[in-house]
Amino acid sequence: MNSYEEFSKKDKPTDYFIKLSETLSKLNEELNAFNVISDLSKLTNFPISVKDNICTKDVETTASSKILKGYIPPFDATVVSKIREKNTFSFLGKTNMDEFGFGSFGVNSEKCAKNPFNTSYVSGGSSSGSAIATSILKYHISIAESTGGSISTPSAFCGVVGFTPTYGSVSRYGLIDYSNSLDKIGIIARKSEDIRFMYDIIKGKDIYDTTSVDINCNNQNNKTIILIDELIKEINPEIEKLFLELVDKFSKMGYVIKHKSIPFIEKAIASYYIIAMAEASTNLAKYTGFKYGFKNENISEKYNQFFTTSRSNFGKEAKRRVVLGTFVRSASVKDMYYSKALKTRTLLINELSKVLNEGFILSPVMPIKTPKFDEINNFSPLEVYKTDMLTIPPNLCGFPHIAFPYAYLNGMPVGAQLITKHWNDYAIIDIVSEWENNFKYNFKYNLGSI
Amino acid sequence: MDNNEFNRLLKVCRIKLEESEYDSIKKDVNEILEYFKVLNELDTSGVLEAYHPIKIPEKTHDDTVFEFKNTEGILKNTKTYRFYVVGPDL
Repeated sequence: MNSYEEFSKKDKPTDYFIKLSETLSKLNEELNAFNVISDLSKLTNFPISVKDNICTKDVETTASSKILKGYIPPFDATVVSKIREKNTFSFLGKTNMDEFGFGSFGVNSEKCAKNPFNTSYVSGGSSSGSAIATSILKYHISIAESTGGSISTPSAFCGVVGFTPTYGSVSRYGLIDYSNSLDKIGIIARKSEDIRFMYDIIKGKDIYDTTSVDINCNNQNNKTIILIDELIKEINPEIEKLFLELVDKFSKMGYVIKHKSIPFIEKAIASYYIIAMAEASTNLAKYTGFKYGFKNENISEKYNQFFTTSRSNFGKEAKRRVVLGTFVRSASVKDMYYSKALKTRTLLINELSKVLNEGFILSPVMPIKTPKFDEINNFSPLEVYKTDMLTIPPNLCGFPHIAFPYAYLNGMPVGAQLITKHWNDYAIIDIVSEWENNFKYNFKYNLGSI
Repeated sequence: MDNNEFNRLLKVCRIKLEESEYDSIKKDVNEILEYFKVLNELDTSGVLEAYHPIKIPEKTHDDTVFEFKNTEGILKNTKTYRFYVVGPDL
């Protein structure tokens, strides 16, 4: 039985939300999960939240950026329309995130999102609020988005399940683009069955998104788990120990464990960031100060000055990425950076496809333990980018992957991820479902059982 | 990248950095660009560029006209004069 069916059996869902309202609002104040919370007393259906970079008609959508403050989309993103059509969901709110998705720890936001297990720790990014909301609320599903690990990382840090589908299987229409060839709308939930339930609703070809593809997803499972040696050689020793215990458990579940080597897989980080920044720099060019959100009142300024003044509303990481993205696309160095990155992606897709035809890749989600806020301050941007080394390969190549909690270390959840070949999405949901039969999730908050 | 080149790049991007950001972002940019050079260790001769991670059917939108009724919804996100969007001097 999935959470939705359980929820539907509640006697008075409206009462449930009224009782929850005060507690949730107070908790939200502490954790910064939501940018907007709907009038909870009006919610009578299954509660969902939507990441703040996905357009929701008549509800402010800012991608956590000051430059989009006040932007009210006149339309719903296709995923939101599909959910609304079901008439069985209520929108709880828009969830906090790193500005435009630029971040791995949820700290590039006006109000940093805090980890519900311990507020001294980061929640992970960029879909920080979606993971927090799911972690504190029973019967809740969040629609999130991943470019390079934005679903897996916060899911792992907040102890929930995060699913990133095959690129193109869910429409991106209505998503505030970060990187068109990398962005994927996905799902964060407490259990794999909730992921399956929502995926069935939101997937499919959309005439408004020419990169969406209508292919039936499979669930081929040859009971083989593959460990990529280069992906597990530089992880924190405590994480490594727990991860090897997880591998052992999969072995006992009947999976054959194999090792493979892809020596150039580490190049995925550079390839990913070059492509992501190049595409981001063009996508952010539309924020000029007279359309969408922030309005520059000084219209007597000449266009270039007007544009430059308006763009001072970007956060520091956004400025850094626009500068780098513009540079790597410039004619004199394009072959050395942008073109090289695209060719590297081709090599990685080919090599990883061969491996994934033999089985599922299993790895930790992050090579480090969940960091505290003061530890993050000591990281340089490049060091932050390198922490994405495990989540980047599947994201760069558009492979479906799912992050799930498998242990708790000093009270904090630890997550692993399973990767499979294109369009084999249901197989990894099935495996996590199988895993959940023998694993007990811990949630610090369990709002919803009031 | 020296100061001149960096300033030219900022102008192209229409990005003005605060004094407090300038040195740190310039340092980060140089460090990251240096790191990106690891790709030069890979032989990619004869390899095609992957603009998308999956094969996308080569089909664009059908060229059809439809009436978008919510123009007010679009205009409310802009500063307007009568039915025009107010923008800067060109």
